[in-house]
Amino acid sequence: MSLLIESAMVLLVLTNLTLLGLSRLRSCIRVVAVQGIVLGLLPLAAHADDLAPRIILLAGGTVALKGFVFPWMLLRALRVANVRHEVEPIVGYTLSIVIGIAGFGMSLWVGSRLTIPGAAAPPLVLPVALFTILVGLFVIVSRRKALTQVLGYLVLENGMYAFGIVLVGEIPMLVELGVLLDVFVAVLVMGIAIYHISREYDHIDVDELDALRG
Amino acid sequence: MRWGIQAALGMLLAPLLLGVITRTKAFFAGRCGAPLLQPYYDLAKLLGKGAVYSRTTSWVFRAGPVVGLAAMLMALAFMPAGGAVSPFAFAGDMLFVAGLLGLTRFFTILAALDTGSAFEGMGASREAQFSALAEPALLLGLAVLAKQSGELSLSGVMQGISASSWGVVGPELVLVSAALLIVFLTENARIPVDDPNTHLELTMIHEVMVLDHGGPDFAFILYGSAIKLWILGTLLVGLLVPVRTGNAWIDGGAFAGGMLALSVTTGVIESTMARLRLVRVPHLLVGAIALSTLALILVLR
Amino acid sequence: MSEGWLLWALLGWPVAGILPCLALRSPRVNLGWTSCVVVAQALLASAVIRAVWIAGSLRMGPVLFVDALSAFHLGVMMIVFVTSTLFAPSYFRHAIESGEFTPWGARRYAALWLGALAAMTLVLLSDNLGLMWVGVEATTLLTAMLIYVHRTPASLEAMWKYLLICSVGVAFAFMGTLLVAAAGRGTQDALTWTHVRKAAGMLDANTLKLGFLFLLVGYGTKAGLAPMHSWLPDAHSQAPAPVSGLFSGFMLSAALYCIMRYVPIVEAATGGTGWSLRLLTFFGVASILVAGAFIVSQRDVKRLLAYSSVEHLGIVALGIGLGKVGLFAALFHTLNHALGKTLAFLCAGRLGQHYGTYDMTRMQGALRASPLWGAGLMICVLALLGAAPFGVFVSEFLIVKAAVEARATWTLVLLLTGLAIIFIGALRHVIGVVYGLPPATPAARRPGPVEVVLVVLPLAALLVLGLWMPDGLRRAIEEAAAVVGGKP
Repeated sequence: MSLLIESAMVLLVLTNLTLLGLSRLRSCIRVVAVQGIVLGLLPLAAHADDLAPRIILLAGGTVALKGFVFPWMLLRALRVANVRHEVEPIVGYTLSIVIGIAGFGMSLWVGSRLTIPGAAAPPLVLPVALFTILVGLFVIVSRRKALTQVLGYLVLENGMYAFGIVLVGEIPMLVELGVLLDVFVAVLVMGIAIYHISREYDHIDVDELDALRG
Repeated sequence: MRWGIQAALGMLLAPLLLGVITRTKAFFAGRCGAPLLQPYYDLAKLLGKGAVYSRTTSWVFRAGPVVGLAAMLMALAFMPAGGAVSPFAFAGDMLFVAGLLGLTRFFTILAALDTGSAFEGMGASREAQFSALAEPALLLGLAVLAKQSGELSLSGVMQGISASSWGVVGPELVLVSAALLIVFLTENARIPVDDPNTHLELTMIHEVMVLDHGGPDFAFILYGSAIKLWILGTLLVGLLVPVRTGNAWIDGGAFAGGMLALSVTTGVIESTMARLRLVRVPHLLVGAIALSTLALILVLR
Repeated sequence: MSEGWLLWALLGWPVAGILPCLALRSPRVNLGWTSCVVVAQALLASAVIRAVWIAGSLRMGPVLFVDALSAFHLGVMMIVFVTSTLFAPSYFRHAIESGEFTPWGARRYAALWLGALAAMTLVLLSDNLGLMWVGVEATTLLTAMLIYVHRTPASLEAMWKYLLICSVGVAFAFMGTLLVAAAGRGTQDALTWTHVRKAAGMLDANTLKLGFLFLLVGYGTKAGLAPMHSWLPDAHSQAPAPVSGLFSGFMLSAALYCIMRYVPIVEAATGGTGWSLRLLTFFGVASILVAGAFIVSQRDVKRLLAYSSVEHLGIVALGIGLGKVGLFAALFHTLNHALGKTLAFLCAGRLGQHYGTYDMTRMQGALRASPLWGAGLMICVLALLGAAPFGVFVSEFLIVKAAVEARATWTLVLLLTGLAIIFIGALRHVIGVVYGLPPATPAARRPGPVEVVLVVLPLAALLVLGLWMPDGLRRAIEEAAAVVGGKP
């Protein structure tokens, strides 16, 4: 069981690093989808001994939403926006990966220092969650396209989700559903915004949205 | 004794792997393809020819293939295969083998530069660039294995990895295997890094460097690269097929099966993937370094 | 507890009110319907407040809970909502007549407006810290599209920045919420505020501190505390006036309310050392100074008001940080700021429509061009700057008093410097707008009776609050302050 979780964690790290190195927006969306599926299945692996229907339901919902609905919505936004499908990063791909590895080392260090009372999760989960959050933030600031910022937000959210599994374990169903719903609406609204931005400007480069200052 | 047989078989069977790869590619392309033994025919044909040397070249050009082949044969002597332990093994021989691979490359590049041809210079520069990235991935991967098994010789490492270690550090071993696979494809000039079939100068890397060699020299080069394929393949198969029963027949059989499967896999990869654009190759190699580093971080933790 | 059903009604009513919106064709009728829903919600809210007044708190099921603090904010919220909702028809009249505000646009506007009302109500009613977060995030998402009602590139840019910065910021607050829950691991219901509040002494102090840092940055982003305020002037200046009024009047305070919920927990767990209070003081002072720096050089009247919101939220945070009298003053200030700032945005919005620009160098003679809105803006800004007979003056005076009592010399110096800079800087700009000769533009439409009432009533309330504090209000604020201040 712990090997299962460990493998999932390594998979998460790999999806993060891949996301940093990919140049096609389409592939980036797919990688984030894979990450969402792995995360959605994580609670199943964590509670493999006693599978309550609640956990199965949540896992199913998460997988369906993060693995299939979000990518579909984002791919659709990409198609409708009809912009260049390259990521065009501010920080290059190779450097991004190197930064990513450095970030992972740092998360491991922080994770080993941070003591959460009574956290009974496998040791790797905390640093990987931190790493995922870091990668999310990095993608938001180091990529130009509005779409990649949405992906960054999703990765950030994934990291927090993993964090929640480690730290709290038992989040009330209502809260989890609310969070899922919020993320869903966030992606929906951001997708609409991307559509409008592409209509208004013929691009979705966020660093050219700089009319408002002071 | 066991090792002696394995090494002899390695020297004998290495070109066969090339044949298997070519055959697999032919199968995917819907052709019946060259015979499995075609590399042997090629070698025989080349050995029977005389060599032509350009007047602008020096002894470096002639020394290149010989040194390359010698280094490869020497490296083969340290490879543990199919559960056999090399009698030459010493602590740190993994670095020595990596160094021998580097030596081969160094002389191939020198020989290519020695011709004074712009094409070969270009190939040499690409080769230098890519191998500079592939080497860290290989060394880091070996470091992971060394740390995991607590041994510093290749033979010790291969003895230390068994089916049970996949249950303990499975994710790390997967990462290292993936990194080594990328190194394997790069070092052997395979798709998606390089295309061994192309003779288009703009896209070639490895093939372009040896364009001016002919006759026995080219046979040495061909044979040397076959041995290189065998060496790196041994490493991968030793990792992926950790059958260590102690019974020479079972271990050897599993190893042979693994090598065959690896050649077929290589053929499949070459048939199903497109060659990467040259500017994207470094990304792939940095990815391999990332995988190895990640595995190292996980093992050291 | 027989009034518990009221809480469900309060939460469900705006959601139910959305459905008819989607069916109504005429934009005017739609805005009218929205007003009806909001006024009815205000009546429901007053019933809840009355019940809390009598019983001290009101609970329904495991998740809905109202105490003095949330009841107070509920009151403020309804004042802001009623004012800006009733104002919307007159603000959009021109857009409706010119066809810019289509039936579809109106449907979307009304639905999102009521959705925002429901989300903010959820923030206030929820006893569960996780659901509270869900509510805050929902307000971000629902109000984002409201910024883009006037379809200009600038408003699109503002919307994107708002959406992304606030989503990421609020995500940090989620992390903080999780850490607080982790600190309470082992206790029952680690996310239920009332439980956590009771068990605060048993929580792991270090994890809680880390969590509070995340919460402060996260909700602080939404509340517009410097240096996380960068989205705020853009969003406020590009949104239609009723939305700006809502943002500034209550949405920022709602985020600060979330922080207030955590302050007593952190204080109880760290043994009352004032750790969280010092942080709030720091962010408060920083906000006041940053706002001052930007106000002096501002040209856009709505951005000026937006930075003034940064300042006032900073003052509220500072008040909480100073504690005791400061806490009372902070809550009182929330009310005063809501009254004044909502109206100020509405007046500025109408003036901007009249002049066709929000550039203060090109808006002149507002008092002659449009006496009601000109005077309204002038008095609002004066009141917000802390001029003497208005409510803001009293609350700011109380905060200064709290600083003196706490012997926080540097804080006091920085606070007074900031206030002085803002007073001079803002007044200089606004006097230029209000007085002088108007450029030759057609005369403004004569304001209707509803508009007159909408301007006069809040101003009168501000004036009354400055001169005389009703005993009922005093008690309500004192009880709310006690929730934050640590009466268990």
